[in-house]
Amino acid sequence: MGCTSFLRAAATFVAVFACAGAASADSQPDDPAALLRESLLAPQTVSYVGQIETVRFSSNRAIATIVKIEHRAPGLTRRWYVAPQELYGDYIITRGHATYQYDTTNSKVTISHAPEIDDQVAASGNFEHVLANYRALYDGTETVADRPTVSIVLINKYTGERAMRAWIDRDTNLVLKKEEYHAGGAIASQTRFEEIRYTGSIPDAIFSTDTPSHYTEVAGAHLMSPSLDLDRTIKDAGFSPYRPHDLPQGFILIGADVADLNGVRTLHLLYSDGLRSISLFENAANAAADFGTMRPKTTHFEGHPAEYIEDGPTTLLTWKEHGLSFALVGDQLLPELVEIAQSVVP
Amino acid sequence: MNDHLSNDLLVDFVHGELPPELDAAAHVHLAGCAACREDFELEATLTEALRAAAKAEEREMPSLVNAAVWDRIRSARPGPMARVAAWLRPAYALPLAAAIVAGGFFASPLAHPSAPKIDASYYLEAHAADTSATPLSERSSALVLETSMITTAPSSPSTLRANGGVAATGAVDGVH
Repeated sequence: MGCTSFLRAAATFVAVFACAGAASADSQPDDPAALLRESLLAPQTVSYVGQIETVRFSSNRAIATIVKIEHRAPGLTRRWYVAPQELYGDYIITRGHATYQYDTTNSKVTISHAPEIDDQVAASGNFEHVLANYRALYDGTETVADRPTVSIVLINKYTGERAMRAWIDRDTNLVLKKEEYHAGGAIASQTRFEEIRYTGSIPDAIFSTDTPSHYTEVAGAHLMSPSLDLDRTIKDAGFSPYRPHDLPQGFILIGADVADLNGVRTLHLLYSDGLRSISLFENAANAAADFGTMRPKTTHFEGHPAEYIEDGPTTLLTWKEHGLSFALVGDQLLPELVEIAQSVVP
Repeated sequence: MNDHLSNDLLVDFVHGELPPELDAAAHVHLAGCAACREDFELEATLTEALRAAAKAEEREMPSLVNAAVWDRIRSARPGPMARVAAWLRPAYALPLAAAIVAGGFFASPLAHPSAPKIDASYYLEAHAADTSATPLSERSSALVLETSMITTAPSSPSTLRANGGVAATGAVDGVH
């Protein structure tokens, strides 16, 4: 083999190898669901700093939030609000299951605790619930925050409607962008990294939860895991509750709890299809919702009035019926929620 | 009244401006005094002529001007004091007082001894917190703080923060 022939063969080898590499990089994932599952666990191993923009849509308005974020795997996160103006400078530090919420305007820090459960086990179990009702499909590639991503879309198995789309970093499996959709296809929320840099060199001081000297420390909620023992929870509530009989397909009861609010025993039933959730609150103390400075609107169904507000894509609907006060909360538009509400007391 | 009626007295009589006793005396005098009656007839004729002439000269205001004047009259609102005074009329005051007393009673705990209320933001926050374990949920701790923002947008930031007392950790960090 002469020199020319050798070079030609070498060039051919390099070209073929390069093409093979490119094909591999562009190829779609074998199992979109598995990639989505990996993305859930990515923050436990990937550290980064960046900026996230979130837009949440109501039926008639949208609100954007911009936060700077520092995350050190597995469980330290600090979010610093840049926008909107009302929250500018406020920050939240998450250390495992504890959350420290710093209100810089009122010099107050609120400390809350979430249930201490095994995130990995919980995420895995819940993800099976997602896959029972949604089909994960590959949806192309795209660059997000200067990073190559693979897009996965979740399609509702019963309605065929797109419910969510996630853009997953091809190298780290971190979700860099996500969109959620209402039934019917309208966008409910969009969250995306505007910029991101992967680094493990984040100083400990960033995640310090020392309370500044002039700050007031406030105990937030100590949240419990919703119980699956419905009979016991109903017994704790002390009254015979109603349950919705007409939920969207795939929704099941995933938990219940009873809270004492100003002396009012309030039962909370939580339903989910893995991706979306619906909460039904009820009490037998004639305790209506106090909307404070919110501006509820009035609607009617089954001959009685009801009040509702929209909080981004979330709707809260309250009404009284059969001696009970109800509140229904979900990421559904009002007509869907009213349909569910009508089935509570047949 | 033996003397003749003065011209001023006669003019006032023609125009009905005299007090009753003078008016009666002038009437009696005219009945018996031809000279004064002649002056009276002249004055009455002159008055009628002036009235006829004035009526012939009378002009209607243009309709648009009339409309504008009436519009101003109808839209004119009484001052604050006049409005308060209007409500103090007995026809209004008694029913108003009764309504205030009744309203105060029904709004007081006396009428509703067991009607507590539950902060609506609790429902939103509890829902957000309990759904935080949902895979791919937006309900991370960061978003719980934002939960009240849309619904309380017209209120002050302090109100927003007062409502954001509940937080929960999310299942994952990053965009989740």
